[in-house]
Amino acid sequence: MKVLYPEHIPAFFTALASRFELRLPVMLSDGTRTIGSLEDGPIALMGGAVPGKPTAAFFPQQGPVFTAVEGAVLPSSDQANRLFVAGFTGRDIDCLRFIDRFFADGWRDDIYFRQRAGAVIAGVSGYCGPGGALLPLIGGGCDLEFVCDGKCWLVLTYSQAGEGIAAELPDTDAEEVLHQIRIESLTAANEGDELIQRASQLLRANRVPDSFWSEIGDRCISCTGCNLACPTCTCFGVQDWRYANNIERSRMWDSCQLDGFMREASGHNPLGSEALRTRRRIHHKLAADPERWGEISCFLCGRCDVVCPTGIGILAVAMEMVDRFEQETIR
Amino acid sequence: MKRTLTVCPYCGTGCSFYLVSDGGRLVGVEPSTTHPVSRGGLCVKGWNAFAFVHHSDRLTTPLIRRNGTLTPASWDEAIGLVVDRLRSIQQRHGYDSVMFSSSAKATNEENYLLMKLARAVFATNNIDHCARLCHSSTVFGLAETFGSGAMTNSISCFDQTDLILVIGSNTTEQHPLIGTRILNAAQRGAKLIVADNRRIRLARHADLHLRHKNGSDVALINGMMHVIITEGLMDRLFIEQRTENYAALAANVADWTPERAAALTGLEADEIVAAARMFAAAGRAMIVYSMGITQHSHGVDNVRCCAALSLLTGNLGRPGTGVNPLRGQNNVQGGCDMGALPDVYSGYQKVADPLQRQKFARAWGVSTLPERAGLPLTHAMDAAASGLLRGMFIMGENPLLSDPDQAHARHALENLELLVVQDIFLSETAAMADVVLPAACYAEKEGTFTNTERRIQRVRKALDPPGEALADWEIICALAERAGYGGMRYSGPSQVMDEIASLTPIYGGIAYDRLDRHGLQWPCPGKSHSGTPILHMESFTRGLGRFSPASYRPPAEAVDDEYPFVLTTGRTYFHWHTGTMTRRTHLLDREERTAFVEIHPDDAGRLDVRDRDELLVASRRGEIRVAARLTAMVVPGVVFIPFHFAEGAANALTNNVLDPESAIPEFKVCAVRIRRVV
Repeated sequence: MKVLYPEHIPAFFTALASRFELRLPVMLSDGTRTIGSLEDGPIALMGGAVPGKPTAAFFPQQGPVFTAVEGAVLPSSDQANRLFVAGFTGRDIDCLRFIDRFFADGWRDDIYFRQRAGAVIAGVSGYCGPGGALLPLIGGGCDLEFVCDGKCWLVLTYSQAGEGIAAELPDTDAEEVLHQIRIESLTAANEGDELIQRASQLLRANRVPDSFWSEIGDRCISCTGCNLACPTCTCFGVQDWRYANNIERSRMWDSCQLDGFMREASGHNPLGSEALRTRRRIHHKLAADPERWGEISCFLCGRCDVVCPTGIGILAVAMEMVDRFEQETIR
Repeated sequence: MKRTLTVCPYCGTGCSFYLVSDGGRLVGVEPSTTHPVSRGGLCVKGWNAFAFVHHSDRLTTPLIRRNGTLTPASWDEAIGLVVDRLRSIQQRHGYDSVMFSSSAKATNEENYLLMKLARAVFATNNIDHCARLCHSSTVFGLAETFGSGAMTNSISCFDQTDLILVIGSNTTEQHPLIGTRILNAAQRGAKLIVADNRRIRLARHADLHLRHKNGSDVALINGMMHVIITEGLMDRLFIEQRTENYAALAANVADWTPERAAALTGLEADEIVAAARMFAAAGRAMIVYSMGITQHSHGVDNVRCCAALSLLTGNLGRPGTGVNPLRGQNNVQGGCDMGALPDVYSGYQKVADPLQRQKFARAWGVSTLPERAGLPLTHAMDAAASGLLRGMFIMGENPLLSDPDQAHARHALENLELLVVQDIFLSETAAMADVVLPAACYAEKEGTFTNTERRIQRVRKALDPPGEALADWEIICALAERAGYGGMRYSGPSQVMDEIASLTPIYGGIAYDRLDRHGLQWPCPGKSHSGTPILHMESFTRGLGRFSPASYRPPAEAVDDEYPFVLTTGRTYFHWHTGTMTRRTHLLDREERTAFVEIHPDDAGRLDVRDRDELLVASRRGEIRVAARLTAMVVPGVVFIPFHFAEGAANALTNNVLDPESAIPEFKVCAVRIRRVV
């Protein structure tokens, strides 16, 4: 097993910058954490999931699709260097796996995979959550994993790329510590999962009345933050800008919380109220995706609950649903 | 990838986010998670605030009208032409024959510099900006009653209050992140009174929703104060120790029985009594208002009433209380603070005061400064229409869409000998100009904005402006230099702020190195002062809080058989003012693509109108075609039209009647007729 000591972190990642385009958890000037570059601020592996979705490395909020010049269509350019993206929690890795499936299914999203293919993914786990809380061990689905044991970072590798990156690091014998983290992770990993399963069952059994969604919808200001922060939200819009000598097509993250998202050409909208749109957002993740993909597509990364200014992120709504409608049935 | 911390360019809430750029192109935003106002969230406009910046319509070179057509020109030629023609007009018609219109979208430094340019270089106090159209009645009314025309409390106070009275503010749509504080307050059990006849989102959460008639706010609040005094619910100690002129207020509201107020407001007397009791019973009560209070021919009286209600109940100078006008634009507070107003220098220091004139003249290196107050923007348009004003320099505003009575505004602008517009897009007003100067947008320059809670915050440059566009401050300095004035040479906006701080006591402690994280709230008089979240804590800025009694005056234009509907105007959630930025933002434009009129289904039924029918809406001043939107959001007899759309311009209909004290137009009430286009 390899180990990365805190004092070696800057040098380790700086060395990687010659081979990769780096995206790492960093601390910005006002204390906001993000997955950015070394120039953005000091590396900040501690602190848990970053507020923005880490999958933005492969599909930014807005990015080019193609440029049309005098009849020729030029695709958006490839990433110059391979991406190295660190900072995925275990739940983020689940999200990544889900959208990899999504973007590969049927019509393969070549723009996404131009960034994603060949990218090295590094997870973080161990005692590096908020205030040193435990983030469950990931155990795979990425190329390597940095496990915080409270003092330093144990480095676990799961692919050749991961092994290559960790090769130069010193060895350590920390099996006992790792075992302890693994045991603790087994309990921590399930927190919230049961709740979301129960919420999903309520929805699929049609036990949540429309009046509930009206209440939730009344608290939604359509900021779209829930969608824009969600790593498994994949919907996007497309726009064309006509310049003097060329036309640029770009695409941007879209939101099912917007009226225009589902509006038909006739002007009719089958989801014409906040209540219906809020219902759809949660229903899609907890009831529709299990039908199509065989799993709930909310992996409880927590971002929508953090970004929502009125407290109606998916976990909050699921808790309210379970509180109110499981009890009602029992009564 | 690069991340640049900055402030949202839309409303006055002052949310903070990082602009994310890649290879000189913006690719998104990320909210600041530590910011005390936005706390990791944004509204839909904030999330999309990057998306217009690279639009292909951006102005990239100066334009000069030649043979009727705007054609590209060099900066040298354009700057020379502007200065020469302004000078020429002044030589023939006097210094006050030109007007400078500053911008609540521009930075503090730019507002200060345009103010300095007008006064020190062109020797006129004819400088104003769109605060005239939104909160001039607040500045007047609260200065009179409290001594300071700004929001008394902080946005964090919503987390501490027991009651919020929202009157004339659609907060979740117009100041969305403040709106969410109110929603959260209601959720935790704070009382919420919404006084607005539109059934806005907040009304769905309100303990009381008062749907009073447009323009009847004075009657409503006088009625509430009558109940409070009659039932002995006022804060006697506060009145005694902290206020003056109470007897006059008590006398004024003595005959404002709930029944009398009910007759004028269209409410039940019981509703007024209930509102009064609920407000007075709260330990900490906040009043929140916006354009529904200010944009009336009696806007100052409305503000006086809000101030009096808070004074009467002792709801000032403490956390969770206050009179909280929500400033509309990102930097409309700053535009006022910087003296982009006809009667004051920065920090509300009066031009009529010889000592102030002397202070600024000395600092600016000029022998004299003009002493007579200049023209308010609304009067300037009248003066242009009548030929008294000959030249106008407009920075970042679009009066052809935003001013009342569009035909009048068009005539005024057409009547000018010289119209110069400095902007980021060729707005409807810019398209009429003789000279157009291309400016950098907020993402392309350094500076500061001051939000509604008086928080001065850094705006930072994420990328270069397109083509030859320059920051507004650079253009203003170039104009000054060409006019032969050597007092506007700065290394950058930071140095401008140092000058502002040296001349402006309320900004005295402001310097860029002190604003790095989350800014400072003025008054901040010294470099070691940590800013002032709540005004009037120990004493009011003017000493004692003054009760200013207000008499009821109806709106200037009443409905009649010919024009049977009340038209009220405003904004939608997805667009910003005249749409120059939001209509060029894909997702926002998609949400609201066309002009519409909200009409109650009962009225629509009577007119045989169905949803999305094309309607012709006409007032005594003009007519427009807009799509019908049938909704119970409005009450029967009242229609609402947003003013974003050039092709269905609400301000073709509005009434250019002004409040006599603040010169704010009555955007909120005029009479219209409606028919279906067949």
